Amino acid sequence: MSASAITVRLSLRSLRAHKRRLAGTFLSILLGVSFLTGTMVLGDTLRANFDTLFADANAGTDVVVRSADVLDSPGTAGGVRAPVDSALAERLRAAPGVAAAEPSVQGAGQLVGADGKPIGGQGPPTLAGNWLTDGRLNPYRLAEGRAPAAPGEVVVNRGAAKTGGLHLGSTTVLRTPDPVPVTVVGIATFGASADGMGPSTFTAMTFADAEHYLTPKGAGQASSIQVRAAGGVSQQELVARIVPQLPAGVQAITGTAATRESTQLLSGRFLSMFTTLLLVFAGIALLVATFTIHNTFAIVVAQRSRENALLRALGAVRGQVLGATLAEALTVGALASLGGLLGGIGVAAGLKALFSALGFALPTGGMVISAAAVVLPLLVGTLVAVGSALLPAVRAGRTAPLAALRDTGVDRAAEGRSGTVRVLLGGLLVAAGVPVAVLGATDGPSVLLTAGGALAVLAGVVVLGPVAAAFAVRTLGAPLPRLRGVSGTLARRNAARNPRCTAATASALMIGVAVVTLFTVFGASIKATLDDTVRKSFAGDLAVTTSSFGAGGSGISPKVADALAQLPDVRQTVGLGRGVARIDGHGRVLDVTDPARLAGIVDLGRVDGSLDALGTDGLAVSRSEAEQHGWRLGQSVTVGFADGASGPFTVRALYEGGGLAGDYLITRQAWAPHRGQDADTMVAVGLRSGVSLTAGKAAVQKALAPFGNPQVQDRDEYAASAASGVDMMLSVVYALLALAVLIALLGIANTLTLAVYERTRELGLLRAVGQTRAQLRGIVRWESVLVAAFGTVGGLGLGAFLGWALVKASDSAGTGSFAIPPEQLAVVLAAGLLAGAVAGLRPAGRAARLDVLRAIATE
Amino acid sequence: MTTLDVVRGTAARVADAVKIYGVGGTEVRALDHVTVEFPAGRFTAIMGPSGSGKSTLMHCAAGLDTLTAGTAWIGDTELGSLSDRRLTLLRRERIGFVFQAFNLVPTLTVRENITLPLDLAGAAPDQAWLAALIDVVGLGDRLHHRPSELSGGQQQRVAVARALAGRPQVVFADEPTGNLDSRSGGEVLGLLRRAVDEMGQAVVMVTHDPNAAGYADEALFLADGRLVDRMERPTAGLVLDRMKAFERGRS
Repeated sequence: MSASAITVRLSLRSLRAHKRRLAGTFLSILLGVSFLTGTMVLGDTLRANFDTLFADANAGTDVVVRSADVLDSPGTAGGVRAPVDSALAERLRAAPGVAAAEPSVQGAGQLVGADGKPIGGQGPPTLAGNWLTDGRLNPYRLAEGRAPAAPGEVVVNRGAAKTGGLHLGSTTVLRTPDPVPVTVVGIATFGASADGMGPSTFTAMTFADAEHYLTPKGAGQASSIQVRAAGGVSQQELVARIVPQLPAGVQAITGTAATRESTQLLSGRFLSMFTTLLLVFAGIALLVATFTIHNTFAIVVAQRSRENALLRALGAVRGQVLGATLAEALTVGALASLGGLLGGIGVAAGLKALFSALGFALPTGGMVISAAAVVLPLLVGTLVAVGSALLPAVRAGRTAPLAALRDTGVDRAAEGRSGTVRVLLGGLLVAAGVPVAVLGATDGPSVLLTAGGALAVLAGVVVLGPVAAAFAVRTLGAPLPRLRGVSGTLARRNAARNPRCTAATASALMIGVAVVTLFTVFGASIKATLDDTVRKSFAGDLAVTTSSFGAGGSGISPKVADALAQLPDVRQTVGLGRGVARIDGHGRVLDVTDPARLAGIVDLGRVDGSLDALGTDGLAVSRSEAEQHGWRLGQSVTVGFADGASGPFTVRALYEGGGLAGDYLITRQAWAPHRGQDADTMVAVGLRSGVSLTAGKAAVQKALAPFGNPQVQDRDEYAASAASGVDMMLSVVYALLALAVLIALLGIANTLTLAVYERTRELGLLRAVGQTRAQLRGIVRWESVLVAAFGTVGGLGLGAFLGWALVKASDSAGTGSFAIPPEQLAVVLAAGLLAGAVAGLRPAGRAARLDVLRAIATE
Repeated sequence: MTTLDVVRGTAARVADAVKIYGVGGTEVRALDHVTVEFPAGRFTAIMGPSGSGKSTLMHCAAGLDTLTAGTAWIGDTELGSLSDRRLTLLRRERIGFVFQAFNLVPTLTVRENITLPLDLAGAAPDQAWLAALIDVVGLGDRLHHRPSELSGGQQQRVAVARALAGRPQVVFADEPTGNLDSRSGGEVLGLLRRAVDEMGQAVVMVTHDPNAAGYADEALFLADGRLVDRMERPTAGLVLDRMKAFERGRS
């Protein structure tokens, strides 16, 4: 047998002998790797699903002709393009190599279901357009009925029809957002069998209807011209032939390029953000797992010190003892990672279901498992296991051979010199990290600086853990002796007797709780900011809105503001729309409104200049934005619109930013010539004095019925619904963090189980001198609670500080609020303590089951 | 005679050995200028009351512990100049150990425990030798058992077989019968005796049991870290008398 074979044999044997001791390690790696794999598989799957989706959508299209200029701004996906002349299709049809060319109008249109509720609009787009008559250009196939032929006739995709309870012959309303009465004459599938293009909805009208309702001029315009090549003409050839026929500012790209563009747009923005977020949480879970693994091996190595010493006495070199321990970690890591790999595929399916359940609809399709999604998690899981076991393994290698001959107790002596190093290093990290984080949060502010400081603080706290553990546990456990007598005293001393172990166990939970707290504080602060915004700037009584979240929906008809203004109960209304324009060359979001009607409903704070006089060549700009560019009243800026028009505008008013209105206000009159589909995102309503909120709301709701029933909310509801998106994000984050916290709790249970093994004799002695099983259980359980309390309290403090730093650092405008939600944090604390008690159940049961005689006889 | 004539010379020795534990007021002089040789092919017993330094002497002679002053040799290798790694290699190649307790790796079988030092060295065991050894210790039917399935005496016999497996220059036994009843102890001591007589093995045994010392060729007596006496061909009765005499002398 070779020398390394014995190393492997020793590690495998002790693995088999101590299976149960390593179960916690196995489980934490398995969970972490499952999550990592799940994330990667989900990312790959979604990317592939979207790829297929876009490829299917463009399957029959060889060339797309569209405006070359795209107006991009932060916060709008894909940018805005001017329409093209729909007559161009006619000319292209005559071009050589063209089999078919059709103008395509694409816009937003939300159907209202049979129950009066709008269909979709919670993320995925709700699209409307013309029914392409060329069967190959049109990715949809009629499943029932026929194509639209007359005004008001529509084909809807099968998914939307199912959701909304619509059938052939149903009459309903399409919000474009102006309500259009429509009759369903056909139900279509996407491709041969899918209910729709992913979860999006599509309503197809005749070309005339589409032009009329979805393009600003009402005729002669199309979003693009879709072209199909004649047999034997390649996409590139066709592009080359078409290009000479195109007017200036219009481009032709191949269908393949169009598909790639759509996919990249989605991968680049939505998907990469989505997967990065998930990867961060997988990373947190694995980080927490390293503590558990490290701890387990540290304890196992200590327990095995006599065995290792014997090996050393018999001639095992340090490397062999170290190797045996590492081989053990490697085996556990590799096996657990393999298990995690399988689990991960399940997790991917679960995550997809979770996001669907929480309202993020994602496209369906088979699982895609790339080589990277297999290799990387395997590698990471194994490395985490081996890396975490490295220090204990080195310690195992250093075992003095003489230790085999002495009856070495398992209690380790308190560390001397390394304790000083620890205090110095940890103190330095915290001392450097806190000011950096504070500086980043207050002066700048700089997220990067804060994150660096936060990391240093985190590392410092973990390093200081063992030093703080004994003190913290003694302090937190101070009431225990009075509450629980001898059991309490013993629990408190046990928790404090091996500070390094207690700290490592608690650190895992501390990190989990710190991240939970961080997000809770961050979320509460965002909600407070939103609440504050509404409170400060919304002076009206009622708000008419569509769904608060996502890009779906079609907005509110611009006629709503005027219609509501006619009501006897209503004093004043104003609509706020949204547009995109280039201002001095940079894409910016504009709020389109009637500035003169804002007063008394939307509070813009102190206004310099006059909102009434914006006219068709004036802008109002928030003061912070103006300061950033160095603009004053009377400044002239160039505004370029999506339709290609461009001209000088004058800054005529400055107002407080950070409210309901964004950074730029423009009049409806100035916007109208350049707009696309006309819509408001919100209509603010002020009631006449003396009209009760209930009565006013009822009247407004009644008046809105013809407009497809948009939501009516009073101020509190409006603030709450603005915050509901935050709550949804938080619930996703909590669900993702649950894993890290679970792993941390596994770590506590694991450490305690190992401690029970370690103290078998001592526990047996206690039982022998008359301690009851219940008292013994109590000792272990209370120790568990104490360790959990240390981790939870530390995590709360750390998380609150980091949350504060993050909130301040990311608030560059200085208008945000900071809020600590005491109830939620109390829940976190209670949950942490309770979880500690639960984690202690099994080890406590094990301790109580010890056979007294055997416990005392244990070698 | 045969073997005894071939293996002449010194298996291990210490010269002017001093070992001091602790410093200042807590200083303990465990070995105080001890010089002793363990000849090849001989069974030497180191006797003495607890605290006499007999275990320390063995640990230092076997390279498990280091001397404060003086030198320790295995054959002609001086231990003080060796690195931890060299010392370890020397232990597994040239020394065999039998300890009082916790002698076997609980997760390995009897056979694996016996070949452990060879396996650690990556050396192939001499199968004929191994078979002979197993035959001598009488555990042929227990080779695939775990230590926990053996009696204390059987475990110690396995430890003896392991110590002999690599044909070391010297076997150190630290109170090998300390945890055993007299019958099992007798078996283990008989084994060590046979190793000396039939295999020409050098054995050094630390014990405080006069009966155990009776199996040795020579007994050395330690008291307060000094070598105070030695006895050729000791018997249990003579050793007991000698030790009683020391006790009286001390008190």
